[in-house]
Amino acid sequence: MQCKELEFVLESAGLGQLPKDARVHLATCAACQGFLADLNSIVSAAKSLPAEVAPPDRIWISLRAQLEAEGLIKEPTAVLEHSNWLNSFGAWLKPRTLATAAAALLVLAIAVFVTRVPQNYHPGVAKNRPAVESPRPVQSTAAASASPSSTPPVNAPSQGPAPSKAKDLAPSPSESASFTLSQAELDVPDMQLAGNSQVDASLRQNLRTLNAFIAECEQHLKQNPQDELAREYLYTAYQQKADLLAAMMESGRGEN
Amino acid sequence: MQPTIKHRHSLNVWSAAFLLFVASTAIAASPEHQERHFAVKGHPVVVLQNIVNGRIEVKSSKNSEVIVSSTSIADKVAIDIEQVGDRIDISASSLSSSPLPHEVEANFQLTVPEQTELQLKTQTGLIYVEQVTGDMKLESVAGDVHLKEVSGYIIVKTTGGSLVCTLCSGKLEFTSISGGAQVLQPSLTNVNLMTTSGNILYDGDFIRTGIYTMRSGKGLVEVRFSGNDSFDLNARTNLGVVDNQAAAFLKPDTHSSRRAASRYAHSLFGTVGQGLAKVELSSYSGTIRILKRN
Repeated sequence: MQCKELEFVLESAGLGQLPKDARVHLATCAACQGFLADLNSIVSAAKSLPAEVAPPDRIWISLRAQLEAEGLIKEPTAVLEHSNWLNSFGAWLKPRTLATAAAALLVLAIAVFVTRVPQNYHPGVAKNRPAVESPRPVQSTAAASASPSSTPPVNAPSQGPAPSKAKDLAPSPSESASFTLSQAELDVPDMQLAGNSQVDASLRQNLRTLNAFIAECEQHLKQNPQDELAREYLYTAYQQKADLLAAMMESGRGEN
Repeated sequence: MQPTIKHRHSLNVWSAAFLLFVASTAIAASPEHQERHFAVKGHPVVVLQNIVNGRIEVKSSKNSEVIVSSTSIADKVAIDIEQVGDRIDISASSLSSSPLPHEVEANFQLTVPEQTELQLKTQTGLIYVEQVTGDMKLESVAGDVHLKEVSGYIIVKTTGGSLVCTLCSGKLEFTSISGGAQVLQPSLTNVNLMTTSGNILYDGDFIRTGIYTMRSGKGLVEVRFSGNDSFDLNARTNLGVVDNQAAAFLKPDTHSSRRAASRYAHSLFGTVGQGLAKVELSSYSGTIRILKRN
């Protein structure tokens, strides 16, 4: 056996039991002995490495940003964005007394998102879908998880049309998001926030800015539902509002 | 005669007591300066959470130590500093609910090694970082963020504060609701700027293969590029206009059949040079302005 052949054997069979002719060659060839020693040291070094190192969040953030920028993960990103702001929104609700009712609303929003998102892709199919399919299970979840006194009326007259128009009861994703955030916002007006007039003023002013912008985008989307750029801005504004409300609640909680 | 002397004596006592009270109040309310040194071995991580008002200034030195200088009123603000290895955690919190913002204030001046990771958070007051290399996350509610000659993966998040980033390199992410962003003379390979109502100005080169995304809901997005740049441009606005003041330098997009638009339009696609970097500008209702630097 020649050196090249031994290399081939090592590549294909690994470092386990070598054939007899390979072992004979190895016993007499210093170069191949050195090669085998190198391979063994590489294997032992590899075994001493940690099994798996979780990459830092920023790697995922930058990777996602890059894939988004290249348009490779456009649709899934939209869904992720929704869940991101819903997650951050949920994080601050937990310790509040309103948590149970708000969690029900959150479930409503998520359920509506999950059931409604495919309609964006197949508008024609969406028209044929039964209109009341999403509110029904959500309503039961809300009823089970929240006491009647604390549960905001999901189908309150001010929030939606008359019950007879069952088709309109299923809110669009943006309507659900808007409604959920509005409910959360109800807790904010009388709250002393950071106990600092400058910070409080800034937080409230920025909330007004966001509300005005959201209203503008929603109005625009009613007239131009296919406007992807406006929708992108609307979802970003929802996320910002969820973050801002979380920051306001956090400030208020710090003082209370 | 006797009552007059007694009266004067009494007056003197009261005056002295009053002066003493005023002096003690002044001493109690005067800012207290503290300086602490922390030896570090490698690249330190400095985390500062300023729950009260105040300015945070970070500069670098060649020394392997972190110096934390703070100024605050001792009985109004609690400052805690803890070192674990090369990580230094600093926090400032309010001890009183004083309605006077300037009283609940802590100003920090940090001197760190050139290669340091920073995580700074404040309510109001400027965050200023100069000549530091390392990943940094800077958060503020109403305070501005000024960065000069910093490098790394830079994340800036404000509610109403603005960002001025001069001679920055690496990657930059900025999100704000009403704050604006000015990026001047950068060497950034990846930029993502997003504000709802603030303005964005990018004045500098686009590095080849870099990705630059700038979005403002209602504000102005202005880009000033140089003649040596090489990038593909995609500018879109819903209700605003794209003001293209560099039409002579923008070729119609070479990578698709989209055509270049007129000077004022809702969207614009074009290429400068070979189109190596990617620049995406958008605004919901604001203006997008594209200029070439002289």
